[in-house]
Amino acid sequence: MKINVTKTWCKKMAGLEAFAEVGAGLLAIDPILNDGEPVSGKPEHFGDETRFALQRFVGLSRRSMNLSVEKLAERADIDLSELITLETDVHHLPEPRTLYQLAQVFNVSQSKLMELSGLTQPKDVHYLEEAVRYAARSESIAKLTAEEQAALDGLISVLSEK
Amino acid sequence: MSRDEGMEVSSVFLLDNQSGSMVDAELWDAITEKNLADWEADWIPQVFDMMKALKQKGVERSLWPQSRHWHWSDKVRAVEERLSNQCFSIVCDDVTQAMMITDLTRRAQLEGQKNNHLVYIDFLETAPWNRAGLIGQPSKYSGAGSILIRAAIELSKLEGFCGRIGLHSLPQSNDFYAKAGMIDLGVDVNYQNLRYFEMTPEQADEFVIKGES
Amino acid sequence: MAKKTMTLNLTDAEMRVLEMLCEQKQMSKTLLLRQALRLYQRVEERLEAGGKLFIEDESTKEKSEIMML
Repeated sequence: MKINVTKTWCKKMAGLEAFAEVGAGLLAIDPILNDGEPVSGKPEHFGDETRFALQRFVGLSRRSMNLSVEKLAERADIDLSELITLETDVHHLPEPRTLYQLAQVFNVSQSKLMELSGLTQPKDVHYLEEAVRYAARSESIAKLTAEEQAALDGLISVLSEK
Repeated sequence: MSRDEGMEVSSVFLLDNQSGSMVDAELWDAITEKNLADWEADWIPQVFDMMKALKQKGVERSLWPQSRHWHWSDKVRAVEERLSNQCFSIVCDDVTQAMMITDLTRRAQLEGQKNNHLVYIDFLETAPWNRAGLIGQPSKYSGAGSILIRAAIELSKLEGFCGRIGLHSLPQSNDFYAKAGMIDLGVDVNYQNLRYFEMTPEQADEFVIKGES
Repeated sequence: MAKKTMTLNLTDAEMRVLEMLCEQKQMSKTLLLRQALRLYQRVEERLEAGGKLFIEDESTKEKSEIMML
């Protein structure tokens, strides 16, 4: 198929288009940016995505309590290096005891943290999806913003004992 | 499809934003191995760089380029054998500047056009360097998007659909389609809450005339 | 695209249907038949992949299977 467009037409329309981003189509499942390498394709089961939510939850909770990583490790009586790895490496499978201790400190359900971490299989994936969505709402590492607080509140409500 | 398998080339023009002048480009009625190679070797690395920069700047992820995970090779492979899909690409400077896949089997949703055939734009994307960035990088060429919309309209006329087109807009493109004269039928809950737009035959004619006035 | 020409033999009834559809859709016979071919290919593709073709009643949401296609 050929089309006939004049230079005038292209010029006028380009001017109207200006710097607008022109795109159309169904968005695929959002990949998580992991060390600069986007994860492509649809995850068959959760794993990295939910561990990312776990990471976010631990980081946000810690900051909302004004705790450094060292102080949290001390408060939760867990290995400092384990906590650092948990907060920074999305592939890392944490120790069950670590999650139990953190659940006590943050007052949420240990079994739900276990499911988020991928250590156990979830009975219901719906809340995992919710957790992932809340987690995706915050990205920066400074003090908690109002939005981050809201994201954290959402995570807490999803992860609390019912 | 390789370049010589009956592909037709039309002469078009893009606005070079740096020089301010119009440059020669080509509209191909296909997405060939060459286009996919450009996507893989030129588009993707730049998208990764942009994402890293956005991440470093702390830009909210919902604002990142939304088509960043599209796999054009997979998409083209899926429609290759189908009569119902028509692909297009724009090449300038021997590099692919934009690509589009259309579907000829969909119907209009708009009241008054209901059940009439239209050309549905499955996917439309411009090269990352043609998008003005959140990190302030200037866009290289403008106009590719409009040319592809025009191509969809012409295809629609050719097939007897009177210029009717439809698409689900990427959130950052909503304004562009509204300004182009398309009707916003609202958020589609069955399509990841993207807004669905349609153009009537009259609006299609206006879109064509607009550029000549 | 290189075009090939074909002669099509239709019965009176088939011709009537074709003309009626063309009138309804405001399309030429060629365009209409090409569109029919596209749709046929898409339906075959889904059926071969194990799908079924249904029509859904908009008001009652009742689905009935189209067996003959």
